[in-house]
Amino acid sequence: MGEVLVITSGKGGVGKTTATANIGTGLALMGKKIVMVDTDIGLRNLDVVMGLENRIVYDIVDVVQGNCRLKQALIKDKRFENMYLLPAAQTKDKTAVSEEQMKNLSDNLKTEFDYIVIDCPAGIEQGFKNAIAGAEKAVVVTTPEVSAVRDADRIVGLLESSGLREPKLIINRIRPQMVKKGDMMSMEDIIEILAVDLLGVVPDDESVVVSTNRGEPAVMDKASRAGQAFRNISQRITGEEIPLMNLEANSGWLEKIKRWVTKS
Amino acid sequence: MKEMLDTALSSENTILIQKTLRSGQSIKHSGNVVILGDVNPGAEVVAGGHVVVMGAVRGMVHAGAFGDENATVTAFCLNPIQLRICNYITRIPDGNHPEPTEPETARIINQGIVIENISLQGNRLF
Ligand SMILES: Nc1ncnc2c1ncn2[C@@H]1O[C@H](COP(=O)(O)OP(=O)(O)OP(=O)(O)O)[C@@H](O)[C@H]1O
Ligand SMILES: [Mg+2]
Repeated sequence: MGEVLVITSGKGGVGKTTATANIGTGLALMGKKIVMVDTDIGLRNLDVVMGLENRIVYDIVDVVQGNCRLKQALIKDKRFENMYLLPAAQTKDKTAVSEEQMKNLSDNLKTEFDYIVIDCPAGIEQGFKNAIAGAEKAVVVTTPEVSAVRDADRIVGLLESSGLREPKLIINRIRPQMVKKGDMMSMEDIIEILAVDLLGVVPDDESVVVSTNRGEPAVMDKASRAGQAFRNISQRITGEEIPLMNLEANSGWLEKIKRWVTKS
Repeated sequence: MKEMLDTALSSENTILIQKTLRSGQSIKHSGNVVILGDVNPGAEVVAGGHVVVMGAVRGMVHAGAFGDENATVTAFCLNPIQLRICNYITRIPDGNHPEPTEPETARIINQGIVIENISLQGNRLF
């Protein structure tokens, strides 16, 4: 039985889709059979980030409405045998699927895949509710900004009241230089507020922009710092104990975070 | 091109869309569709008959969607993410490709979608 993981944030544009693409690809690189599910109906992006847009024939709405079989809508990635995408619909809206339908969909996918990684839309409305309906574990993405952390906190609360306890945190787009100068919230500040386990820290990295435009997630690029961070995150998801990389932690914190990671 | 336009325009069931279709917008029509604008990535046109775009196609166009194998897709710049005619599907090859600079028509020939360059040269009467 596979594991259903939702990538969520509350605030828009903090890196949910980037994280989904990279974690999905990272898990596939480790030989896991995975499917990424785009639930951002009406504003789909994951297909573009994965470079699979031109292969879409059916989408998630077609599946739940019975216009096609689930297998027909799954797009097999050209680069990995074991990686699939279930795209969102672009010309519909969030009300085109229900929480019940999402739950059934996740249950179906679980019998086929090791990991189901769900890309959640921004916000706390229907789209969010759909995305988390079938999930068993949640990953909250935030950037080191007060507003993003505020929204992440709201999301953690909503996740907990929906039974998704102990969500894990990814801090994205951190800039160590700015943190050092005191111009950016540190990991310490963020964890202090959110009080959740840290899954990883991803640096702000130009290679993410390049890889996004190319349709090749940064994890596939050995030289990418962000790619390395996402490879580590993928490994932690499978239960491996990977210490935070240098830039992920400033020394004093390393040990403390190691303990958090191993505890989970 | 002119011929194509004439057929599309003279057919009874043709609609004219006088705007660019943006991502998420979709036109579904049982007959022919003529668009005075572009079809952007993420937009889709589904027509029972021909589709003529007096602009660029960068999204998805499906002509002959209800089984008409003779349907065609014509555009000034035919560069769709994916193109469908009747039951046939084709997509742009992966990687970067220059956009076409001349009008083209896509139609089914020998069980496959073929894209033909159409010359706009010829006589012009004023
Ligand atoms: N670590 C990073 N370094 C540099 N740029 C990044 C990083 N993470 C994300 N970005 C950029 O930030 C932008 C937003 O990312 P993304 O689309 O993943 O966010 P999102 O949370 O899915 O947004 P939405 O809420 O709209 O769905 C993108 O342009 C992406 O390339
Ligand atoms: Mg997104």
